[in-house]
Amino acid sequence: MPEISRARTASAITILAVALVCAFVLALSLGPTTVPFAAFIPDDPLGMLAALFSGGNVAGFFSDQTSYLIVYSIRLPRVIAAILVGAGLAAAGTAMQGLFRNSMADPYIIGTSSGGAFGAAVTIVFMGGLFLPVFAFIGAIGSTFLVYAIATRNGRAPVETLLLTGVAISMFFSSILSFLMYSAGNSLHQIVFWLMGGFWNVSWDDVWLALLIPVGGIILFVLARDLNVLSLGEEDALHLGVNVEQFKRILLFVASGLTAVAVSIAGSIGFIGLITPHVMRLLVGPDHRILFPAAMLAGGLFLLAADTIVRSFLGEMPVGVITSFVGAPFFIMLLRRRMRA
Amino acid sequence: MIDVEDLCAGYGGKDIISEITFSAGKGGFIGIIGPNGSGKTTLLKAISRVLDISGGVVTLEGRALSDFGQKELARTVGVVPQETAMNFSYTVADIVMMGRFPHKERFVKEDTEDYRIVREAMEVTNVAHLADRLVTDISGGERQRVIIARALAQQPKVILLDEATAHLDINHQVEILSIVRDLGESVTKIGVFHDLNLAAEFCDRIVLMMEGRIRAIGTPAEVLTMERLRDGYGITAMVQTNPVTGRPLVTPLSEGVSPALCGARIHLISGGGTGAGLMYMLAAAGCILTAGVLSPMDSDYMAASRLGIPCITVPAFAPITPAVCDALGAYLDEADVVILTAMPVGEGNLPNIRALTRARCSRLVLYVPGGEEFTDCTPAGDCSYLAKIRAAGCRVVSSRNALYKEVEKLVHTRNKA
Repeated sequence: MPEISRARTASAITILAVALVCAFVLALSLGPTTVPFAAFIPDDPLGMLAALFSGGNVAGFFSDQTSYLIVYSIRLPRVIAAILVGAGLAAAGTAMQGLFRNSMADPYIIGTSSGGAFGAAVTIVFMGGLFLPVFAFIGAIGSTFLVYAIATRNGRAPVETLLLTGVAISMFFSSILSFLMYSAGNSLHQIVFWLMGGFWNVSWDDVWLALLIPVGGIILFVLARDLNVLSLGEEDALHLGVNVEQFKRILLFVASGLTAVAVSIAGSIGFIGLITPHVMRLLVGPDHRILFPAAMLAGGLFLLAADTIVRSFLGEMPVGVITSFVGAPFFIMLLRRRMRA
Repeated sequence: MIDVEDLCAGYGGKDIISEITFSAGKGGFIGIIGPNGSGKTTLLKAISRVLDISGGVVTLEGRALSDFGQKELARTVGVVPQETAMNFSYTVADIVMMGRFPHKERFVKEDTEDYRIVREAMEVTNVAHLADRLVTDISGGERQRVIIARALAQQPKVILLDEATAHLDINHQVEILSIVRDLGESVTKIGVFHDLNLAAEFCDRIVLMMEGRIRAIGTPAEVLTMERLRDGYGITAMVQTNPVTGRPLVTPLSEGVSPALCGARIHLISGGGTGAGLMYMLAAAGCILTAGVLSPMDSDYMAASRLGIPCITVPAFAPITPAVCDALGAYLDEADVVILTAMPVGEGNLPNIRALTRARCSRLVLYVPGGEEFTDCTPAGDCSYLAKIRAAGCRVVSSRNALYKEVEKLVHTRNKA
C-alpha cells in the first residue's frame, strides 16, 4: 500500500467538505419539485437575518412562498438531519472499529440498534407510536448499558466479552421484536418501515436533537489520540499510559449516544457506520485525528445523497434500503481489491 | 533501583506467583527463566500493573509503583510484549510516536522535541529507514524493533521484555537483545526468557522461577547449573562455558530419565573419548556416575566435568600411584555396576584394569562398540589382564542398547539382593 501523506489527507478532507456543501445546496433544490437556487435567497437577506434573530416571521422575505415552504420547512430540516445522522453513524462506527480493533465492527455491534428497534416497536404497538424517538433512544442507550453491565467484572470489561454480550443481547431484543411484530396486527407495517430507516417524518424538532451529534463528534475528536493508542490493543494502551477501562466507558457511552440519537431520528439505517470508516481508513489512514473528521464528512455526504435520491426519484422508499443496496457491492469491490493487493 | 518485595499476584483470587523478592540495579539486565506455568509472565504483568497484585510491593527508587498515575507509570516503565497485533496500517513513525503519548497533555500537539526523540529511538533500533512504511507491511523482526523504539520513546527508567524475541529467528533475537543490552545505564531491563542461552548471554543476573516462586537467583553461572536445570525443568543438560564470552552454555540432552536406572551407582573406566557418550546417556538416565582414573587432558574428563561427574584424575603421562589406586578401589566398591570401555590400554592406565579383581568382575560390563578390540599399547603385551577379566565371566556388549539392557539387569539383581 502506498504511503499516506499529509497532503493527501488534507486534500481528501477538503474535497469531502466541498462536496458536502455542494450536495447540501443541491439537495435543497432537488426533490419531487425542483426548486431553482434563486428561490433560496430572500429578497432582503440582511433584513431577514435581523428578523430571524429577533424571533420575527421570516416567511415574508421570500417572494415565492411555495418554494420557501418546501425548502425551509420541509427539505432543510430533513437535509440537516440526514447529514448529521450520517455523520453520527460514521463517527460511532469509527469509534467502535477502533475500540474493537476490527474493521467489521459497526455502531450497532453491541446491541444499540436492536434495543432502539425494541423501544420503537413498544410504543408503536402499545401507544400508537407516541414519543417514538424517545422510546427508541431509551431502548438504544438502555441496551448498551445492559451489555456493558453484563460484560463487566471487577471493573473490567474485556472487548471480547463486550462483543459476545452485544451479540447475545442483540439477539434477545430481536426475538422480542419479532414477537411484537408477530402480534402487532395493523401496526406491523409501521414497525417494518421504521426498521428500514428513513427521514420522511423529520421536522425541526428532530434537528434540535440531532445537534447532539456534532457535540459527540467533537468529544470523539478530542479523544482521537487515546483511541489511536487503544487501537493497538488494550495491554499496549495500558503500557502507554491510557486509563483503558475509564476510556472505554467514555468511548462506549459517546458512541452509543451518537448511535441512539441517529436511531431515534431515522431508525436503524444500515451500512453507513460500517462502510464509511472502513473506506475512509483506506483513503486517509488509521490516525483517528484525521479519520473522525473524514468519516463524519463522508457519512453525512453519503446519507444525504442516498436520502436525496430516494425522495427525488424513488417515491420515498426507506433510505436504509438504498444505503445497503449501494453500500454492499461497493464494500465487496473494496474487499476484492484488498485481497489482490 | 527497582525493588520487588514479597510480591503475590494471580487471577481470579488465586495467586500464581507468591513471595517474589528481588531487586534490579540501575542499568542492569535481569533475566527471568523457568518452565511454562512457573509464573514468569505473571510476574512481569504484576510489575507492569496489568495485573493487580494481591500482596507485597514493587518500588522504583523508593516509591511504590501502585502510587503512580497511569501516564506517569508509562513514562517510567516501558513494556515490549511478545507480539503486538497490528490491525490497522499505521506507519512506523506513527507507532513510535505513540510512545510519546504519556508525555503529552490532552490538547498539546507533538513538537519538534517529540519528533527528535522518536527519530533517535528509531535510530537506536535501526528502523529509521522504515519510518514511512506501514507496520502491517514489515517483517516480524522489524516490527519488534519498532515496538522497542516505541518503548524507548517513552523514555522509561525500566524496560520489561516479555519473551520479546520468542517468535524471531536467531539473527533477529541476537540483534534485538544486543540493542536492549546496550541501552546503557539509564535503563534497567527485566526480561522473560525461554531460551536459556540467550538469557545467559545477555543478562547480568538470572532469576529461576518454579511453581510461582523464585528457586534461584544469581549470575548466569550461579543459576544455570546441571542440578538447578534438572530441578527446575526436569531435564538433564550439559552446562559448558562459552569459550568466547565466558557465559554458561546449556545443551539439553535428549535421553530422558529411566526409572530402572535412576539412582543406580555406576563407575566408568574409560579414556580417549570412548566414555563421553556413555556419560551423557547414563547421566541423562539419572544414574549417579563416577569416573576414572583419567587425565585432565582426556576428552572423557572434560565430559565428566561438564556433567558434574566426580572423577579420579592423575596428571597426563603421570603414573597411577597406589594412593590413586585406593581411591579407585573405593569407587569401584561403591558402584552397583562398573563399565569398562574399549580404550587404548598403555602403561599409564593399565592399573585401571588391574584393579578389576575377580569379585568386581561380577558387576563388570565390557563395552566394545561394534566388536572392536582394545588397542594394546603396553610394551609387554600386558593385556592378558583383559583375557583374565573375560574369563572371570564379565559381560561383553557391543552396542549402547545392549549395554543399557545389561546395566538394567545388573541393577535389578543388585536391588533384589
